[in-house]
Amino acid sequence: MLLRAGFIAVAGAVIGIAANFVSPRPAALGRPVFAAAESPGAVCQDPRASVARISVQEAKPLCIACAAAFVDARSAQEYASGHVTGAVHVRPGDPVEPLLPKLGAAPMVIVYDRDRECAAADQVATGLQAKGLRDVRVLTGAWADWLAAGGPGESGTCALCTGEGR
Amino acid sequence: MARVLTGVRIVLGALFIWAAVTKLPDMAGFAQDVANYRIVPAALVPFVASAVVGIELLGGIALVAGVMERAAAAVIACLLVAFIAFLSQALLRGIDLRCGCFGGDEPASWWTVARDLLMLAAAVVVARGPVPQRQVGKDLTDPA
Repeated sequence: MLLRAGFIAVAGAVIGIAANFVSPRPAALGRPVFAAAESPGAVCQDPRASVARISVQEAKPLCIACAAAFVDARSAQEYASGHVTGAVHVRPGDPVEPLLPKLGAAPMVIVYDRDRECAAADQVATGLQAKGLRDVRVLTGAWADWLAAGGPGESGTCALCTGEGR
Repeated sequence: MARVLTGVRIVLGALFIWAAVTKLPDMAGFAQDVANYRIVPAALVPFVASAVVGIELLGGIALVAGVMERAAAAVIACLLVAFIAFLSQALLRGIDLRCGCFGGDEPASWWTVARDLLMLAAAVVVARGPVPQRQVGKDLTDPA
C-alpha cells in the first residue's frame, strides 16, 4: 500500500504542476510567493475581493471630517483596547440591524480588521452591502497601518453595539 | 457495512475532486492562500500549491473510481493531517486568513478544523477498511 500511496502522491504532484499551466490564473512557479501581510504595498489588495478598498491616507481625512462611519471587525478585546474614533464593533456573523441607522446615515462605511488579509473585514463589509448600504469599503493596511499613520483612535467598549461579548 | 464504507469513500472522493476543481481556475490565488499560512518557504509555495491540487484531484478520482482506494485514502489522510496542522497553527497565532479549502473567500476557523477532522476520520476508515473483493478477479478465478 505504501508504494501505491507514493505513486498517487508523486503522480498527483506532477498532474497538479501540469494543470497549473492550463489554469487561467496560474501560479508563477519560478517566483516566490510571500504572505500578503509580509508584502508591503500589497496588503488587502486581493484581486478576488468583491468589496472596494480604501487606503489609510484616503480614509484618515474622512474620519477627521466625520464623512465616513467606521466598523471594527476585530475581537471585542482588541476593540476595547483601541479602535478608530467613533468606530462600532461588528464581528462576522453579528447582527447589524441595530447599527444600520447610524451606518446608513454616513455617506461611506469603512470596515477594518486586525490582519492585513482583511478576511473578517471582507465578510462584515459583504454583510453590510447585503443590508442595503451602498458605499462600503475595506481599509487596506488594517488597524496596524491606521496606528502607524497616526489615525485618530480611542479605547473602551462599544456603547452603540448590542449583543453578547461587547 | 460494505455499502456504508463505499458511500463514505465516494463522498470523500467527490469532496476532494470538488476541492481541486474549485482551485484550478485561480491557482495564483490558491498559492497566495498557501503563503498566507506562513509555513511553506516562499520559493516553494507555487510548487506546493500545484502539487496539493493535483494530489487532491488524483486521490479524489481514485476514491470515487475505487482504484487503489486504500492507498488514495491514506494519501488524503496525510493531506488532511497537514491541513489541520496548518489551520490550527494559523488560528492559534491569530493569523486572520482565508482557508483556501474550496476556492472562494471562506475564512479559516475552528469550524474548518472540525470539518477536516471529520474528513480525516472518514479517510482513516477507508484506508483501514477491508481489501475490496474485485468482481473482475472473482470472475477470472471462478471456473463457473
